[in-house]
Amino acid sequence: MALPPDRIDYLPLVDRPVIKWPNDARVAVWISPNVEHYEYQPVNEGVRNPWPRTPYPDVQQFSYRDYGNRIGFWRMLEPLDKHGIRCCISLNLAVLEHFPEIAEAMMERDYDYMSHGIYNTRYLYTCTKDEEREFYRDCIDTLKRHTGKPLKGMLGPAISGSVDTPDLMAEAGLIYYTDWFHDDQPTPIKVNSGKLISVPYSIELNDSSVLRDNHYSAQYFADICKAQFDRLYEEGAESGRVMCIALHPFIIGQPHRVKYLDDILGYIMSHDGVWQTTADDIADYYIANYYDQAIAHAQRLAGSSIE
Amino acid sequence: MPAQRTFGMDHPHHEWSPVISRPTLHWPDGAAVTLCVVIPLEHMEWQAPPGSFQVARLAGGSAPREFPDYARLSHREYGHRVGIFRLLDVLEKHGIRATIAMDALTAEHYPYLVRHCLNRGCEIVGHGISVSRMITSNMSEAEEREYIGASLQALEKATGAAPTGWFGPEYGESDRTPQLLAEAGLTYVCDWANDEQPYPMTTGGNPFFALPLMYELDDVVSISHKLMPIFDYERMLGESFDVLKEDGANTGRLMAVNWHPWLVGQPFRIGSIDRALSHIMGQGGVWAATGSEIIDWYRQQAG
Repeated sequence: MALPPDRIDYLPLVDRPVIKWPNDARVAVWISPNVEHYEYQPVNEGVRNPWPRTPYPDVQQFSYRDYGNRIGFWRMLEPLDKHGIRCCISLNLAVLEHFPEIAEAMMERDYDYMSHGIYNTRYLYTCTKDEEREFYRDCIDTLKRHTGKPLKGMLGPAISGSVDTPDLMAEAGLIYYTDWFHDDQPTPIKVNSGKLISVPYSIELNDSSVLRDNHYSAQYFADICKAQFDRLYEEGAESGRVMCIALHPFIIGQPHRVKYLDDILGYIMSHDGVWQTTADDIADYYIANYYDQAIAHAQRLAGSSIE
Repeated sequence: MPAQRTFGMDHPHHEWSPVISRPTLHWPDGAAVTLCVVIPLEHMEWQAPPGSFQVARLAGGSAPREFPDYARLSHREYGHRVGIFRLLDVLEKHGIRATIAMDALTAEHYPYLVRHCLNRGCEIVGHGISVSRMITSNMSEAEEREYIGASLQALEKATGAAPTGWFGPEYGESDRTPQLLAEAGLTYVCDWANDEQPYPMTTGGNPFFALPLMYELDDVVSISHKLMPIFDYERMLGESFDVLKEDGANTGRLMAVNWHPWLVGQPFRIGSIDRALSHIMGQGGVWAATGSEIIDWYRQQAG
């Protein structure tokens, strides 16, 4: 009997189908700025307190994040544009409604978007199934209405989810989920209907965990991003890898940090064999070319171990 | 029981023995340092059974998250799918066979990994049921016996041989664990982080030994909990080794490290492990061995 939640078949790194990215690229690199809005006076639904420091509002913490939309986002665009990066935004969809200049800037650059919920202060923990279904409808409709694009994937709002999230995402027509950190390649996620995969996002190369939660320096962030790239680039000669760098404008867009983003992107983009892409495109490509192979291979491995 | 103000230890598991008062320890071929690399392959459960105990800061995942915590579950799973293979490749490059601490859920549900580790010449030692169920004094003696027995049976079934070593998940023990491990037929335990040489434990039955790990060299302790940059961790490994080698010229030292594949097996960390091992293994005078090889040698020396 498989271990719960039994969503991912076991596929060891050393025994799985070889992945070839477009143009024989070694690494699919996607950059994911989290463009978010945290509510000034959210509702505490009792599972996670959005602003635990004080009674609401917590103006210090609210405005620290809002700085990202007023200032940090625009500063972050400079190195992204300089290196020609097409981002896949992890988007709180209400940003499109609140802040039209941000929406326009993203659309001008033809970015892709994955849902990161409506607000970063509204979680999926307490949703009924029907409420979660309505949530996906809302995300899909809001993105379509403002950008014309179909919604393909999600990073759960503030990385929250329910036990039914993978099934309900697939039912709503989404094809990728990025809350899973078990691999450096996409992998199928088992769902009741449709097809869903994991595209590797990162909690290791993430300015929020590295620079904000864990207090490392921006120089260190640049060093580990380069070290990550070097290793995946080496391994990618044999089978394609995915590398994601997750950003938050209120963190990486601080004046003392932005040069390190320039440094990281310059280093990565100076290499041949880099597929600078989005999670949308990785998911489409993987599902078209490798989804069935991965499932068949995992089934063979599972069968051979029963002997 | 609170300590009585008398000579020696305030527990019955081993004698008081400062390093200055011991006979000289000789390692094979005059090595100054013996290196033992312990790799836990431990499963993080989706939901641990009611009544099971986890440490307050169980590592992995993003910031502490509510159920369902896909992030932490999958971050840990990275070790089983990806990290272990990077780590074993690096060890093989430096001629090191690992001592794998494998929990029962891994042994039962990852037959590919069991075969892979055995094919690489790793030793497999007991590591409880899962990292989300550690041994503590909350367990009754009967529960603890059953837990140890189930862990060992799962490994014997998966590998075809009974393990001789034990490393509790999160170093977990009750006040009777060494005795119960010895009674279960085991020879050594890695839970005690208090020395740089193996030492005998006083369990009263079959000979039973401690194979002490270096607490500060445990990657979860230094990287995950203390947030040491990986390049500083790399340097700490090298500098620790340099002093152990110097001290080991007088009496042999043990450098036993605990490396989690989901942590040091990440792409940006594995290079540091590789470079640290180049430093350690590159100068000669080091015996890299598995836990039981070290204990067998130690018993023979101690006569």
